[in-house]
Amino acid sequence: MKFAIVVFPGSNCDHDAHYAAEHVLGQQAELIWHKDTSLKGADVVVLPGGFAHGDYLRTGAIARFSPIMQEVKRFADAGGPVLGICNGFQVLLEAGLLPGAMLRNDSLHFRCEHVYVKVEQTDTPFTLACSPSRPLRIPIAHGEGNYYAEPDVVARLEKNRQVVFRYVDATGQRLPDANPNGSLNNIAGICNDARNVVGLMPHPERACELAVGSADGLGMFESAVKAVSEGAFAHSR
Amino acid sequence: MRARVFVTLKQSVFDPQGTTVAEALHTLGYASVKDVRQGKYFELDIDAATVDEVNRVAKEAADKLLANPVIESYRIEVDTAQTEKVR
Repeated sequence: MKFAIVVFPGSNCDHDAHYAAEHVLGQQAELIWHKDTSLKGADVVVLPGGFAHGDYLRTGAIARFSPIMQEVKRFADAGGPVLGICNGFQVLLEAGLLPGAMLRNDSLHFRCEHVYVKVEQTDTPFTLACSPSRPLRIPIAHGEGNYYAEPDVVARLEKNRQVVFRYVDATGQRLPDANPNGSLNNIAGICNDARNVVGLMPHPERACELAVGSADGLGMFESAVKAVSEGAFAHSR
Repeated sequence: MRARVFVTLKQSVFDPQGTTVAEALHTLGYASVKDVRQGKYFELDIDAATVDEVNRVAKEAADKLLANPVIESYRIEVDTAQTEKVR
């Protein structure tokens, strides 16, 4: 199967995602420039972390106008699995593929550290091989990960089980101190109504080998492989 | 004509930058400053014949791009005296 990793001007985790898919998982992976208009037959699309267009105006605000985003939207609407990591999550929010918006971290600090994240939902293409019982230890690196949405939107996300990832402590407890950015309800990642589009602030692609301190993120990529091979979340081309 | 677009976080949205600026002003002794909201300011030089048209274009620009309606609100002022020469 094939991963497409979209490269915006300013993306800086594109190669990490490519490495995870190709070298760690042994799958096909292709970097796709944001001005391309084809996803080149990919089964899974990843919008990587970084600072697309220098975060000018707002994070992700300019990237949503990149030509490839039309294709990403079509792919997502057809049920294809799309993962937005960090800046990629911010792009999905600005593009309207996921609800809500990002505010500056409540501490005003750029937080770059390992955090614990609980996988709360396993019926998405990026979590179906993950275990909800043990929190993942994966890194964050962002200044604007303070997830915000109107109260009725947050209530709907909770009711529909669209909060896929939540910041927790090492034992899995959802505590205010475990939240690195002030996001509502300790939200670290969400999915759309159809559950095929997933965005999260932490970086699973930077935690796929023990040599870099943690391999807890690998399960998310393995999930995508499993989802595609089992025909779950297969999109109509 | 020039449209000035002021974008700020909605009142219901916490503004950590504004709060930090307010605290700094208090440190400087400006106890009378009760609240600070930080925002963005855009000047749009628009080639249009009427104020209504300038307003319409500026509003569209704000709705589609300059402001994110989930977290931000905006205000537009049209300055008929300003031309693109004034930079």
